[in-house]
Amino acid sequence: MRPLEYVTPHSLAEALERLAGSDPSETVVWGGGTALGPLLRRGLVRPRVLLGLERVAGLQDLSLAEDGLRVGALVRLADLSRSPVVRGSLPLLAEAAGRVGNVRVRNAATLGGHLAHADPAQDLPPVLLALDAQVRLESVRGTRTLPLERFLVGPLQTARADDELLTEVWVPAAAFGRRTAYVRFTPRSSQDYPTVGVAASLRVDADGVCREARVAVGGAAPTALRVPAAEAALVGGRLTRERCRDAAAQVESAVDPWDDTRGSARYKRAMARVWTERVLEDLASEA
Amino acid sequence: MAEFHAGGEGRTDAWVKLYGQAVYAGDVRVPGMLYGALVRSPYPHARILRIRTEAARSLPGVHAVLTGEDVRYGTYGRRVRDMPVLARQVVRFAGERVAAVAAESPELAREAAALVEVDYEPLPAVFDPEEALRPGAPRVHEAPWTYPGAVTGPEDPPNLQSRRVWQHGEEVEAVLARCRYVFDETYFVPAAHQGYLEPHGCLAWWKPDGSVEVWASNKSPHRLRAQLSACLGLPPDRIRVMPLYVGGDFGGKGSPMDVPVCVALSEATGRPVKLVLDYEEDLSCTNPRHASKVRVRLGVDGEGRLRALDVRAVANGGAYAAFKPAEHVNLNGFGEAGNTYRIPSVRIESLIAYTNTVPRGHMRSPGSLEANFAVESTVDAAARALGIDPLEFRLRNVLRTGDLGTLGEPWVEARGEEVAQAAAAALRESEPQAPVGRDGGRWARGVGFAFYCRAAHGGTTEVALLPQPDGSLVVRVPFPDQGGGQHTVVRNVVQRELGLPAGFVRVEQADTSQLATDSGVGGSRVSLTASAAAASACAELRRRLEEEGLAQLPVQAALAELARRWPQEVVRASVSVDEELWVNSVCVQAARVAVDRDTGQVRVEELVTALDVAEVLNPASHRAQVEGGVVMGLGSALLEELVLEDGRVVSTNLHDYRLPSVADLPRLRVVLVPGGKGWGPHGVKPVGELTNVAVAAAVANGVADAVGVRVRRLPISAEEVYQLMHPREGKA
Amino acid sequence: MTGAVVELWVNGEPVRAAADGAEFLAEFLRERLGLVGTKLGCGIGVCGLCTVWMDGRLVSSCLVPVAVAAGRQVWTVEGLVALAEGRVHNPPPGLPRPELVRAVHRAFVQCEGLQCGICTAGQVWAVCALLSEEPVPPEGRVREFLAGNLCRCTGYQGILRAVQQASEEWAQRAAP
Ligand SMILES: Cc1cc2nc3c(=O)[nH]c(=O)nc-3n(C[C@H](O)[C@H](O)[C@H](O)COP(=O)(O)OP(=O)(O)OC[C@H]3O[C@@H](n4cnc5c(N)ncnc54)[C@H](O)[C@@H]3O)c2cc1C
Ligand code: FES
Ligand code: FES
Repeated sequence: MRPLEYVTPHSLAEALERLAGSDPSETVVWGGGTALGPLLRRGLVRPRVLLGLERVAGLQDLSLAEDGLRVGALVRLADLSRSPVVRGSLPLLAEAAGRVGNVRVRNAATLGGHLAHADPAQDLPPVLLALDAQVRLESVRGTRTLPLERFLVGPLQTARADDELLTEVWVPAAAFGRRTAYVRFTPRSSQDYPTVGVAASLRVDADGVCREARVAVGGAAPTALRVPAAEAALVGGRLTRERCRDAAAQVESAVDPWDDTRGSARYKRAMARVWTERVLEDLASEA
Repeated sequence: MAEFHAGGEGRTDAWVKLYGQAVYAGDVRVPGMLYGALVRSPYPHARILRIRTEAARSLPGVHAVLTGEDVRYGTYGRRVRDMPVLARQVVRFAGERVAAVAAESPELAREAAALVEVDYEPLPAVFDPEEALRPGAPRVHEAPWTYPGAVTGPEDPPNLQSRRVWQHGEEVEAVLARCRYVFDETYFVPAAHQGYLEPHGCLAWWKPDGSVEVWASNKSPHRLRAQLSACLGLPPDRIRVMPLYVGGDFGGKGSPMDVPVCVALSEATGRPVKLVLDYEEDLSCTNPRHASKVRVRLGVDGEGRLRALDVRAVANGGAYAAFKPAEHVNLNGFGEAGNTYRIPSVRIESLIAYTNTVPRGHMRSPGSLEANFAVESTVDAAARALGIDPLEFRLRNVLRTGDLGTLGEPWVEARGEEVAQAAAAALRESEPQAPVGRDGGRWARGVGFAFYCRAAHGGTTEVALLPQPDGSLVVRVPFPDQGGGQHTVVRNVVQRELGLPAGFVRVEQADTSQLATDSGVGGSRVSLTASAAAASACAELRRRLEEEGLAQLPVQAALAELARRWPQEVVRASVSVDEELWVNSVCVQAARVAVDRDTGQVRVEELVTALDVAEVLNPASHRAQVEGGVVMGLGSALLEELVLEDGRVVSTNLHDYRLPSVADLPRLRVVLVPGGKGWGPHGVKPVGELTNVAVAAAVANGVADAVGVRVRRLPISAEEVYQLMHPREGKA
Repeated sequence: MTGAVVELWVNGEPVRAAADGAEFLAEFLRERLGLVGTKLGCGIGVCGLCTVWMDGRLVSSCLVPVAVAAGRQVWTVEGLVALAEGRVHNPPPGLPRPELVRAVHRAFVQCEGLQCGICTAGQVWAVCALLSEEPVPPEGRVREFLAGNLCRCTGYQGILRAVQQASEEWAQRAAP
């Protein structure tokens, strides 16, 4: 018998207190449990307390304001994908959230848990990187906001301190209205994690000149990765084939994949290039 | 045929399953039962130095911790009895059972198992079957020929598990030497799991009177009883195997698996013990498909006619032969190599080696997929090399009614041509999907064909009819319905034979004490033998009704009256078919594939399955068997590989071992080509192991047609195709 | 020692459970409550055998520790059948309509949407949830929605036909 308690504080302050005062191997934050559940079943984590956030006001909110879209950490991926607010402002995010795992996973998994889990093959990190997302971390010590690329540190590693909660994801309004695309390349089964995932967002002016670019890949490096060199190759000119190809070449040299059942490192590297090029060419030809 | 299918009634087991009331092994609950868990070896080959069980034993609620030394039963197996109930002194694969625990809850049992400490001394191990057969390789067993049922001898290489040779016609080397063209190709089919979704489970209850009751996820209860009898040293009538539903089998649920260890736990504790594997254990430690390397040499003359076929397969049998039932513990499907063609000289050799890996068993049409992928790919490659259309090449050589089979079989018919034409026509009707927008150039399209032919086999079974006072009939059968619809076939036959309306026939699975014999569900033989047994039981019942002067009454009234007069009345009939039937079924599959030129991704856009049928006893189940087989074939073709590294299974969950989902399927078309000659009173042809076989070759041949590369390894992964298409980059 | 005791509702009835850290909802339902209609397959959320309805959504009961189910409404296949048979009064909002469940059951029987039956409870839940949300889903959506419920036996074709049939029946009934 290994007792396990599920505690559901009623306020953020209470939750943060609880987290601050406890041993991280004894108390873990429970979002939807789709990542923790399998670990718990196999005894790979053995906490005594699961800290549930469902009663904390505000963490399930989704709000659109002048400065952008704010998504509470406890918003479930299914709700994210269906939300008219998200569909209207950031259709790419809604669509990508609707492709993660399966129906039951999306019904349970939370955006906060998804990002805090930091599996490098996940879908939403590259999408959110391409949308300039920032995450908000709160603890009894205070609040900080980090760009997502600084939050993602390594495989299953983030910049979150043990006493911090991820409370909110913010996508600045500057990311709205860009041309965006995400491809999850799953050559085996649609139910796989992507072999590689490529997300991009571009702002192109009326003359067809690319003014802003974001390119990010998942599944091909220890974390989802933004590739500034690829972005630089796109900005300041028209989106010609050559530019897209240059950007893709930059991605190929920036990634650092590993071998697994979804493909060898060599193959993933090549696929990161192929799909970057395709995604960019598609975006270039969008009216 | 329509009147045959009891109107809209559906399967016998449909409602009980929809209602969640069908009982499977893991669902059985007996008062006072304990839960078992296993300690498994982390080493592929090691000496067991010491096992410390004190910590596990001292947990409150733990009732027994057993090691090999505590078990006095013999070894077990379906034919060769080489598998210990618990390892003694040495472990031969990573995942082998080393100790077993019985405790009051599954969680506690698992926790206790984790507390058992074992000291090992690792031993040199061998993982590759060809290496294992070389002189000087580490020995998996010291003297495998000494096991009961062994099929090898001391003169054989020590790691030889089985050798089988099939031969017909003139000596193959001599003919090959005379052939204008000889194509020499080697193919690889990896290990695979059967993919049943219900993991293995059992419950054993050693009763105070020394008898044993067993519930197990097993498709052949009578054989299980015989295998247990041999292992436990108990007479068969002391063992009762209880009826149960089986949650998928596909060849993987025909052995005692963990029943003997569960019996040992029950004997030690005096309590019923249930042991259910978790899926990870099932994927890595049970009885997956052999990995096989198949070399094909095909001789063709100047007119494009096949003259000689030499096939040499080497398969990885894993650490024990215990999970194979065939006479030679070989894979009979290898003997089918090339059997859809006229080939005057054939030699096939299949070697299976012991290695320090998970023991291998049967998977739906064992050996057939392996042989078919290799031969049908080679035939395709030969046609392309000779500049002949591959379908035309096949038709030029296809076996026709009146021809002797490749091994001299006097088939009653051979319908390859008709079936192939039907497949080709269906494929022509379907237009390729229009290229999508800008992506148009990215997909290269092609079509591929593959032929397969499977012989029908008999078996032994018994059926009992029990008339009921309400005018209905209970039919007792000795085999479970593991999903194939066998119980429904029996119901339909009985309804038709006796003219009973829907709802008046109920099929029940007997326990092993109620009916005498059965060879189990397998080799697709059940609908053949069971339908024959049911028909002859019905004839016997009609005779009884005549005897009793009831034959003139309406059937229900007659049955009711019979039941009133003779409340214990049981009419039995058994059928035993052990002669060769010379009936076969042909299946031709045609795939339209698209290959992404830059990524190697293969999309099957359309898959046509045409097959040769005679009488169909239950159209709905028949269709379901066909479709289920096709999708399993797609899994083998495109997704499934049980990956082993250093002898250990590493694809230990359903993320890594990927089964097809409904979102992964192309359009499937099934074309039945009626008019075939089946076997038995109803003239049926088997279908259960027919449609999963040729899919892989059809898809691979489609890839060759689309982009000109030959895939020689399953599954056909995007990466494999990519590397074949970009050989230089592949080396980078 | 015994740990905390939690209370939850299963098929509308309150039940009490010891919150053992190693025990998950799937095992709890099966072993403690004897509700064995919910099956256990992969144990990692992939296969769908353990599908149950919890507080308005389908979840994998293999991934929910009993402690986390505290206070929640859980419905299993046994409850779904009771619902279909009209034995449930005041079902919580969001459960499929009894007529829909009956239509789905009939369609599974008539279209041979099952074989070995191990995946069936989960499939029926998924189909009921889908048709509750969208009575006439396009085929692509059906495939997407059901992709998380594996079936090794049927090749899915019978299930797809059953969805089609149930959807037609249900849409007719739902239409005024
Ligand atoms: C069957 C299956 C298929 C899947 N397929 C995909 C796929 O195709 N693509 C994909 O991207 N992902 C996939 N996933 C992974 C899935 O996306 C993650 O499991 C999920 O997003 C994690 O979210 P959660 O809320 O369930 O996290 P939890 O399991 O609850 O938590 C994950 C981690 O984050 C921590 N945590 C949770 N919330 C917070 C918070 N607010 N603040 C700080 N820490 C927190 C937890 O302590 C834990 O360490 C799949 C998962 C499953 C089970
Ligand atoms: S057992 Fe829960 S999803 Fe497979
Ligand atoms: S019916 Fe057997 S797995 Fe679906």
